[in-house]
Amino acid sequence: MSRTDPETRSGLGGRLRGWRPAVAMAARNLRRNRVRTALAVLGVCIGVLAVAALGIFGNVLALGAQDAIGDIGTQVVVSPNADAGVDSLSDADVADIRRAVGSPAVVPLYSDNAVVSGQSAQQFATVYGVEEPALAFEAAEGRLPERHRQGAIVGAGVAEELGVGAGDTVEIAGSQVRVVAVLVESQTFSPVAPDDAVFLPESAFSADGYGQALVVAESGEAARAAADDIRTEVNAREERVDLFELAAIVDEINDFFGLLSTFLLGLGAISLVVAGVSILNVMLMSTVERRQEIGVMRAVGVTRRDVLRVLLAEAGLIGAAGAAAGTLLTVLLVAGLVLLTAEVDVALALDPTNGRYLLLALGFGVGVGLVSGAYPAWKAANERPVEALRS
Amino acid sequence: MYSVELRDATKRYPGGGAEPVIALDDVDFAVEPGEFVAVVGPSGSGKSTLLNVLGLLDDPTEGRRHLDGTDVTSLSVAERTAARKESIGFVFQDFHLLPTLTAVENVALPTAFDPGDASERAADLLSRFGLGDRLDHEPSELSGGQKQRVAIARSLINEPAVLLADEPTGNLDTETGESILAEFERVKEEGVAVVAVTHDPLVEGFADRVVELTDGVLVGGVPNGDEEGEKSTPIDRTAPAPEDR
Repeated sequence: MSRTDPETRSGLGGRLRGWRPAVAMAARNLRRNRVRTALAVLGVCIGVLAVAALGIFGNVLALGAQDAIGDIGTQVVVSPNADAGVDSLSDADVADIRRAVGSPAVVPLYSDNAVVSGQSAQQFATVYGVEEPALAFEAAEGRLPERHRQGAIVGAGVAEELGVGAGDTVEIAGSQVRVVAVLVESQTFSPVAPDDAVFLPESAFSADGYGQALVVAESGEAARAAADDIRTEVNAREERVDLFELAAIVDEINDFFGLLSTFLLGLGAISLVVAGVSILNVMLMSTVERRQEIGVMRAVGVTRRDVLRVLLAEAGLIGAAGAAAGTLLTVLLVAGLVLLTAEVDVALALDPTNGRYLLLALGFGVGVGLVSGAYPAWKAANERPVEALRS
Repeated sequence: MYSVELRDATKRYPGGGAEPVIALDDVDFAVEPGEFVAVVGPSGSGKSTLLNVLGLLDDPTEGRRHLDGTDVTSLSVAERTAARKESIGFVFQDFHLLPTLTAVENVALPTAFDPGDASERAADLLSRFGLGDRLDHEPSELSGGQKQRVAIARSLINEPAVLLADEPTGNLDTETGESILAEFERVKEEGVAVVAVTHDPLVEGFADRVVELTDGVLVGGVPNGDEEGEKSTPIDRTAPAPEDR
């Protein structure tokens, strides 16, 4: 209405005011056929439930996996490359590695195998020689010394098998050694396998080279960078060392769970699309039924834009109601799942990233309503009133 | 100045065959403010087309159209909508009230999306038509005559120059029809031009002027004394008239 449009005022307030009567009228129109409206709302509700619930399930799976994988991604295990004739890492190699990686701690390890015995049991275990255990490991019992000068640090698995704790004595390769600390059970897979190992001071070894070196970084990214640095600098001329790097594996695992989440979301989205089609159907039916009414509105001077607003508001309200109900149901469903399933950790379900999926589903629900309402609304608003009024 | 005026207006519809259907044939029609004109004629004579063209729901194929002194022959869709709201009131045979709205809301419908609340004026109008105690009733709770009064009130909410009525008494018994026509008389006394298309002889009795439309040709469309309106229109028709409604 170019001549006498009273609503050309700009500003959000003005625009919202224009919608208020449309929404009020839309709400009444929806109440007119309650069953049909309720079914359309139910459709959206199920769609939103599917998107939100599957999204959250996928997310909880991914979070759970991340939890289980833990921080292995932050370690790089450097070992001598036997194929190139390198049997052990010399002090020079360790120095090279330290120079290459910069800030991450480098913990070189001597390694050997020995029978370890407690009071009543004995076990064949890997024995490492380490100077600075605190850089790479954590103690569950006792205290890890800054410099490891005497005594044995026992992995969680060995400690349990032999029934020993800090302060007890174990026999390693014939010598009695006091246990100064027991390590926390490792959550991760690592070639070092600290659970089944015993850590002695470097002085206990007479080997002339280290069997491995651990690079302990702050984050997965730093670990990856350190691995790259070692590849480019230490392995510059010849492949002296092999790298076992879990960050890449963690990435792949995360990629997999990302894919799984997308796949689950896609499954949910299909039901949301079905819901959209049902809104389209409801809106088309109701605009055909109300053809004359819409014609009357147009005849008495209601603009096409306002007719469009009323009909879009109807579709949007169906979408919003369905989305709200679906979101609420999802919350209840997830809560029920947490209560009934011991495996699902409450902390995982309450993770704030799950909220993203709720918001996403809520937005999709309203969006589906508006998108599927758009065509019927446009069609009805643009029909010539003279045609619409003809009974 | 006429409230609404058509000059040499022709309306042709593309027919099923090669020949277009001529619904209005070179029609001259004018209504003065405060005049009540009844348009009569058999079904299919083009009465509804005339009303649609007058009411800016449809455009003439040829000829000029004036509304309240302004040339409104060819307007955009939005301009026509605005002009309808500003200057034209419609009353339909089937009342055409929105079933979800109360009487007051139906009356205020043309302004429902504008800033400001017209419900007070709507209530005033309803009271004037004797429906002061039915303000919040929905159409399903009203009788036919009451519904038509609500419709008349709706047509007046924007103080139009012209009130167009399509068979306003068609669905009413004689007594109620008479009372509705009496309302039209009150409306015209306020200077509104009233055009009613009708089959009902009752309407003719209330009208200031009765014009007859036959096969798209209008006789006596312009008030007496208007020179231009005196000319006779040669009848030159080759196609049958379309269905009226």
